[in-house]
Amino acid sequence: MPFDWLNPYHLQVGSFLLINVLLGVSIYITLATGQLSLGNAGFMSIGAYASAVLTTGHGFSIPVGVVSGSILAGIAGILVGIPALRLRGVYLAIATLGFGEVIRVVFINWESLTGGAVGIAAIPQMGREILAAAETAGFSPESLGLRNNQFISLAVFLILLAITLLAILFFLRLSSSRVGRAYAAIRMDETAAETAGIDTTYYKVLAFSQGALLSGLAGALFAHATSYISPADFTYHRAVEILVFAVFGGSEVLFGPVFGAMILTVLPELLRSIIDYRYIIYGILLVMMMVFRPQGLIDTALVARLANRGKPAGGS
Amino acid sequence: MPLLSLVDVRKSFGGLNAVSGLSFSVDEGTITGLIGPNGAGKTTLFHIVTSVFPPSAGRVLLLGEDIAGRRPHDVTRKGIARTFQNIRLFTTMTARENVMVGRHPRSHAGIWGSVLRTKSQRAEEARIREKTDELLALMGLAGYEESPAGKLPYGHQRRLEIARALAAEPRLLLLDEPAAGMNESETREIHRLILAIRAMGVTVLLIEHDMELVMNVCDRLVVLNFGQKIAEGTPEEIRRNPQVIEAYLGKEEEDGRDA
Repeated sequence: MPFDWLNPYHLQVGSFLLINVLLGVSIYITLATGQLSLGNAGFMSIGAYASAVLTTGHGFSIPVGVVSGSILAGIAGILVGIPALRLRGVYLAIATLGFGEVIRVVFINWESLTGGAVGIAAIPQMGREILAAAETAGFSPESLGLRNNQFISLAVFLILLAITLLAILFFLRLSSSRVGRAYAAIRMDETAAETAGIDTTYYKVLAFSQGALLSGLAGALFAHATSYISPADFTYHRAVEILVFAVFGGSEVLFGPVFGAMILTVLPELLRSIIDYRYIIYGILLVMMMVFRPQGLIDTALVARLANRGKPAGGS
Repeated sequence: MPLLSLVDVRKSFGGLNAVSGLSFSVDEGTITGLIGPNGAGKTTLFHIVTSVFPPSAGRVLLLGEDIAGRRPHDVTRKGIARTFQNIRLFTTMTARENVMVGRHPRSHAGIWGSVLRTKSQRAEEARIREKTDELLALMGLAGYEESPAGKLPYGHQRRLEIARALAAEPRLLLLDEPAAGMNESETREIHRLILAIRAMGVTVLLIEHDMELVMNVCDRLVVLNFGQKIAEGTPEEIRRNPQVIEAYLGKEEEDGRDA
């Protein structure tokens, strides 16, 4: 086989990395208007459960499930985002963290729909569905020189890669536009933004629901990548993990949390040998960040320096 | 019809009457000065006119339409823009970006236009940029387009804030102490700019403590003390008004002129 080096395990880590990047982008979007939401694990679970229930119990296709799950999470984002307007800073963080826990407890207790604490198994898996469809059409992965499990993992990885790149492009373009300027203005000085003619209510709820929708998308993709979900996947550990992407990578520019999500997904895999000390290292890392670089690894100044280097007449 | 009319406007914070029963109007094309000692209620009045908070009672009429209680962004869209006493720029944005934000209520691109970069969105961005650079040049900030707003010298920041307010194409511009903390030549520059703004067809309502500037630039003055109007008239009338001299300029006229 020519592609023996293509390790399904590595591809799976890559897939989880991309899902984490989506989650990192989701917290960034809400933060772009100055709102710290820790409810993204909750919105993620809404997307995951909605898509899992629709595709597993009711025979809908995966794309229908994923789109429905994302939209449902986005609507939940609007419903949470409106009362959240009254809250600032740490109060908003705690309220949204509480929301995530409420959602999780609902999923644990709504056994007829969600399977309770056991969760939902045998969710259609993206890669396997594609393989099945391909085989029906008379196509075999071996014609590409791939084993079946390689093909499945590669298909999942490539789908997630395409979606993640699209999401990043979407929010990059949004950031450098009228809407993005409104977000940034609200983050820096809400009163000045409102006085400058920006409908701060609209843009704050918009950003909140965009973050929720993206979390829901990540959740739905997660369900169809693992084919098994349970409430344990969406605890407050997940909420804090998403927060850490932004704290570590930085939340001033989109690539901050993207970078944070990448490093913090790959690092634990590389550190398997010292797995017992993993959380100690995490803790030290975060304390160091708070002391030496509270804005995160990637900030506006760093991006400006890198951009200048690219220009022919660039200075430093 | 006057551009702006205040009718028996009141505002109390708890037991304190910051503004009590104030009425006056501003005619289109004029420069009106709002003066009075510290704590007279001038900035409170600006906050009421721009709807940062609503009046406790009374009406605020913009061309006859009551705007009291509307959302501030809506008031800006209707034609009232302002600056703040303690400059409120978006400090880590560039000067250009600050003014581009000010253009928000006069542009339309939404999510999809922004993401898909439609033809109309690109044309609109180009117009926003053109208008922005025009205003920066007008305010004497050409060459500072890419500077972070927070790093600009103080006087430049004041002028940048005015440029941001003008980007909304207001009919009425409220300036809250534009010459505060400025030296003589910078104050002369502000004087010139206020006249230039009026020449653009924008009506100006101005809070200012620099008496020389106020007396020279304003067509009319409204004098406040303890939340009430104690006098109104041309600068010459105000200068001679004994009540004003006592309440605001001090008991001895000579001292007052120096203040």
